[in-house]
Amino acid sequence: MAKQLRIALAGNANVGKSAIFNQLTGLNQIVGNWPGKTVERAEGTLHFKGYTIRIIDLPGIYSLSTFSMEEIVSRDYIAIEKPDIIINVIDASALERNLYFTLQLLELEAPIIVDLNQVDFAAKKGIKIDVEKLSSALGVPIVPTVAITGSGISELLSTVTAVISGKGKFKPLKVRYGKEIENRVQAIEELINAKLPQLCTVYPARWIAMKLLERDTDVAGKLKNYENGKEVLDYAEKSASELEKIHGETSPVIIASERYGFAAKIAKTVTIIEAPPKISLEQKLDALTTHKILGYPILAAVLASMFTLIFLGGNFISTGLDYVFGSFTTYAESILSLILPEIAVSLISNGILSGIVAGITVALPYIVPFYILLALLEDSGYLPRAAFLMDNLMHKIGLHGKAFIPLILGYGCSVPACIGCRIMETERERFLSAFVVVLIPCAARTVIILGLVGRFVGLHAALALYAFDLILVFLLGRIAFKVLPGEPVGLIMEMPAYKKPSTRNIILKTWSRTRDFVFIAFPIIIAGSIAIEALSLSGLMNYMVEAASPVMSGWLGLPPIASIPLIFGILRKELALILLGDVLFQQGMGLQDLTAIQMVVFSLVAMIYIPCLATIAACIKEFGWKKALAIAAIDIGLALFLGGLAYRLLSLLIAS
Amino acid sequence: MRFRNRGNSERRNQPNDEVISLTNLCEGERGVIIHAFGGFGLVRRLAEMGLTPGVEVKLLRKCAFHGPLQIEVRGVALALGYGVASRVFVRPLKAESNG
Repeated sequence: MAKQLRIALAGNANVGKSAIFNQLTGLNQIVGNWPGKTVERAEGTLHFKGYTIRIIDLPGIYSLSTFSMEEIVSRDYIAIEKPDIIINVIDASALERNLYFTLQLLELEAPIIVDLNQVDFAAKKGIKIDVEKLSSALGVPIVPTVAITGSGISELLSTVTAVISGKGKFKPLKVRYGKEIENRVQAIEELINAKLPQLCTVYPARWIAMKLLERDTDVAGKLKNYENGKEVLDYAEKSASELEKIHGETSPVIIASERYGFAAKIAKTVTIIEAPPKISLEQKLDALTTHKILGYPILAAVLASMFTLIFLGGNFISTGLDYVFGSFTTYAESILSLILPEIAVSLISNGILSGIVAGITVALPYIVPFYILLALLEDSGYLPRAAFLMDNLMHKIGLHGKAFIPLILGYGCSVPACIGCRIMETERERFLSAFVVVLIPCAARTVIILGLVGRFVGLHAALALYAFDLILVFLLGRIAFKVLPGEPVGLIMEMPAYKKPSTRNIILKTWSRTRDFVFIAFPIIIAGSIAIEALSLSGLMNYMVEAASPVMSGWLGLPPIASIPLIFGILRKELALILLGDVLFQQGMGLQDLTAIQMVVFSLVAMIYIPCLATIAACIKEFGWKKALAIAAIDIGLALFLGGLAYRLLSLLIAS
Repeated sequence: MRFRNRGNSERRNQPNDEVISLTNLCEGERGVIIHAFGGFGLVRRLAEMGLTPGVEVKLLRKCAFHGPLQIEVRGVALALGYGVASRVFVRPLKAESNG
């Protein structure tokens, strides 16, 4: 029987944690979720020297405070689930900042091994780290690695097993502060030991004391559940106030300051500057791509070529797959009708099959190239530069620079754009960005706008719709920004150095993301397809047309039957256009028989009315049912309102 | 768009008029952080990213029209929005040849 081990990878963002993770787990990687949370972690298994080791990749964070969900989640994982070992991945080229996090892990009394990663990159910058010295300073084993090439990985694993079996030195440093902080922490610690012994079994008493002194609201909240909690809280509050009076800063700043001082001292003693830093190619590229004038045309060129690639590549693959699967469905249908009753065939072919086909032919062709290019952009380090350049503009709609990234992705497909909102720091910002992002016309909506309005009314009308959409995004963004409670967050973002992306990493990333998308979106697409097909078979559809008629013809001025394509359009937006042609044909009409106003209104409604099912699924996954439905409801209401308004205004305009 | 002093700023002894906002540093200029104003969360986050009182920073570049700026602190490049940067106050250091 193999011995089981649980190892967590923890560290700052951009230190190469995922690269280490991929080196450790290879293709075994799965991507999972924390229950009820939107924060993603990766998990994988490996076998080493008779051990079965489960590796958990925690999100990249800068501290164990409670600024973000990721920080709370990581901290609780480390403290409550108590993995056997935590591999703290640190960036050798930014030791001081990384050690700040290491010190916090030590304060949490977590069993850590330090993985000194990117030693090659540090060497390039002329920095060498004295591993022995660092190891004795921290009292834990240090393993230098280069994650991209995999060097040092087996040493890392040997060190893990050595520490587990009690070999090797393991006397973690006890972090001690200056008198002013130290005396207060110890006093609070004693009080906690005396009054709250139950809590000390989960978290170290000293750590709770430290966090209370730092005015950590999450820890304070935990204390409130206990009888003596109030007494301890009041005492800690008093101590924090005293500390703040002495320094004239808030207590977290005082403590962070001292902790950083500690980290800086260690970093200084172990760092050997070998050569004065030269200006590298990466630095020149950095200066050029964030240049206050040249940066913008470069950004435009990068994005333009990216979208051309996604659009052309996706279109090409989509058309090809459509052809293949189109004949496949017909074929499957004819075989099924031999053995099954007609209703079952309809359900299977129009429900399950068309759902799968829609997913494969419409979503995947755009999503896979998109994921590849996104991984490339991510790994190269360009995305933060683009976000930096756009910060000013994004502030106008209440977001900061980083939100520019999902917004641009929205023109390709809303699904990855929604998932991309994860880069925003707070739940509020993530939701706000997603709200705006789903209003950006994706490739499928472009099909409707260009295929109906562009073709029959004229390109100017289609472009006017796009322009209107941008104005709408801007206005709604501003309204949502004012309405949503909470403080807007300013841009604070690390600018990682440019790096050459590794092919292996890109493939792994694309694969795991695609798989994630397939597992989440496909079942929902299929279920939706079956439901809609069942509606149609049971005859309920006719009632729906009847019921929707006042809205369709009365308010929007569209033929009543147009409600069917709009309902089906939830499944996939371009389906709305295809079906509009179909239902009109059944009544002996064609698309060209619609008036220009009807075309514009139909396209406008289709553009805004609801994110497609896959997008709703992505929103549910990211934000939960309530918020996803809220987005959908607002969009439907808005689409109907604006559609009716456009119908009346345009009628007036043309009549006069 | 100017930063407004909150009540607590008067409590602090402003050493001299040389203390300026990070946004007023020139590209390539260095300064020592004196204090960051703002909400509890923002100030704490800045501190956690290494922007604590007494630390030396270097302004790498600024964007036009009150755009964001990039600084180097503790060996790391950070991008700060204009609003954030305008709340961080530094004492500029005399130009010295050091990278």
